[in-house]
Amino acid sequence: MKVLVIEDERGMALEMEDFLIKAGYLCDLAFTAKQARQFMEEGPYDFILLDLGLPDKDGLLVLEEAKKICQEASYIILTARGKLEDRIKGLDLGADDYLPKPFSLLELQSRMQAISRRKSGLKDNLVSLGEFTINLNNRMALFEDTDIGLSKKEFDLLSYMLLNKNRPLTRMQLSEHIWGSFSDDDYDSNYIDVHIKNIRKKMTEYGPVDWLQTIRGVGYKIKL
Amino acid sequence: MKLLTKLTLTSTFSKIATVILFIVLLPFLIDRVAFQSTNGLLKQQAKKVMDNIRNNGIDYYLQGDSTYGSYTLLKEEYISLERARNIYSADTIQTAQRIIEGDTVMYRILNQAFEYNNQLYELEIGRTIASISQYNSPLQKIALYVLGILIILTLLIELSFTRILLRPLQTIIQTKLINPVFPFKEPPLPIRTTTVDFKYLDKSLITLMNRIKEDFDREREFTSNASHELMTPIGILQTKMENLMLLNDLDEPVQEKIMEMMKTLNRLKKIVHSLLLISRIENDQYARQNSIQPKEMVEEIIEELQHRLEDRNIQISVSLQPHITLHKLNHDLLFQLFYNLINNAIRYNKENGSINISDAITPGGLYAVFIRDTGIGIDPADIDTIFNRFRKKNSIEGEGYGLGLAIVKSIADYHAIKLMVTSEPGKGTTISVIFSIVA
Repeated sequence: MKVLVIEDERGMALEMEDFLIKAGYLCDLAFTAKQARQFMEEGPYDFILLDLGLPDKDGLLVLEEAKKICQEASYIILTARGKLEDRIKGLDLGADDYLPKPFSLLELQSRMQAISRRKSGLKDNLVSLGEFTINLNNRMALFEDTDIGLSKKEFDLLSYMLLNKNRPLTRMQLSEHIWGSFSDDDYDSNYIDVHIKNIRKKMTEYGPVDWLQTIRGVGYKIKL
Repeated sequence: MKLLTKLTLTSTFSKIATVILFIVLLPFLIDRVAFQSTNGLLKQQAKKVMDNIRNNGIDYYLQGDSTYGSYTLLKEEYISLERARNIYSADTIQTAQRIIEGDTVMYRILNQAFEYNNQLYELEIGRTIASISQYNSPLQKIALYVLGILIILTLLIELSFTRILLRPLQTIIQTKLINPVFPFKEPPLPIRTTTVDFKYLDKSLITLMNRIKEDFDREREFTSNASHELMTPIGILQTKMENLMLLNDLDEPVQEKIMEMMKTLNRLKKIVHSLLLISRIENDQYARQNSIQPKEMVEEIIEELQHRLEDRNIQISVSLQPHITLHKLNHDLLFQLFYNLINNAIRYNKENGSINISDAITPGGLYAVFIRDTGIGIDPADIDTIFNRFRKKNSIEGEGYGLGLAIVKSIADYHAIKLMVTSEPGKGTTISVIFSIVA
């Protein structure tokens, strides 16, 4: 999943980037509102983590603008500004959560997962998918306690589709959310199809995967 | 050869030549000086004799005789005066031999004729010259020593002075030609010098550098803006097509057509994405703060590319040292770099070929990764251009749009990574990725 961190304090931003990469997210960093705007216009994001104290623009204005450009993203406001009215204003503008600085990165991750679950109507990080169980926390796909052994990208694909279940996802969407600005030189590349094929192959050994549907010419969806 | 060396050599040679010439000419000069002064002395003495004769009469010398002769104890000087019937030699000064008491001696001789009381007289005064020329060789020796020391002294002074004079040139070379890495980050600063020529050179170089930077910035800005602006219409088209595809009542042929269109659009989007990526790298928009483990990263990439390896039945062997961690890099960019290189090694390989990925510490202590394939290889004439944008050689089915290696190059430059390509057409290619970080 793709995260845009808008934070002017470089050290902080880099720390978050490091942590998020390790947690399996794709991460872009913007240090100013201007950079942030460019990033938002160029790609869809799943999460936008926004520091309100930016040097070139008021954070709440940035949020208002961002909500128009990246409508699908979830927003978490990060700030040292502890004022209650800021908090209320931020949430009123459509932020999904609010995290006062200083915060623990583990808490940030939990909140991000909670937002994902809430958006996709899941109750906890263990999600059952047909006869399988997907552990979003440990990033594992299990069949009766046996790890299926999906690769990193395969799991990314599966969990992304799961969090957006019952929604057709195009190859382009999947590519953008899971590979980000990564650029594959092959214009004919069918790597999404190959990964889906592999997921099917690995999981079929254990049980039926009829919940993973192909939408001809468009992409895939998980139907639950 | 360096300018300083050339200048020093030139001045040394010219000095040595002058000194040698001087030393060779020295005896001749000394002789001349000796003759001149001897001539002067002889003339003085002749004048004294004449004065004596005028004041005291000729008999002051002759005392009634017809001749008079006298010489000093060691025969360095002699004088003779005699009556002459006629003048057989004009007033001259010459070098000639005279025999005095059995000894033959070389003399510088003054001959002068004069008339006294209607009688002609001839005066001859001689002075040895041996006493002068015997000093020739010691004088030469002394001159050689003194001048030699003088040469060395002046050379040392000149050397240090020239060095100071040429220092601005050194500074120009260092700050304008060697140090700056393109694209120039900081504006070049003028150097401080009082030498007009260096000032002019420096100013011209700064103007040139600024112009290059401006052009480069303009191109970079254009790429960035154009790609950015292209994204919006592409996005709109994409959504419209996707929505169209999701309609339920579409004919098969229409669906096919839309799918073709989506594919083309996809391709366009990827090109724009790649250009944006390059322009972002060139604009310094990526932080270099991650630590990566090459072995782990390469293995992850191979896992992602597994299907392509299997498709073409290519064997891949990885022998990377597990404990190596590289710091201060951008994780995503490095991933992209290795991905593109390994992907190329697959794409330009032969069926059933192989790829070998290994690493080593170079003799300079730098960490290097080598990606070796058994592919079609690269023509030596093409090696320099493979990193250019939109370069395509041999149209191979399913080949990319020619930005993969351009991206690799940008990422490498951004991390001060050196790329080296060696290739043998028909046999394969090895790409060396040499990090500027000590592992």
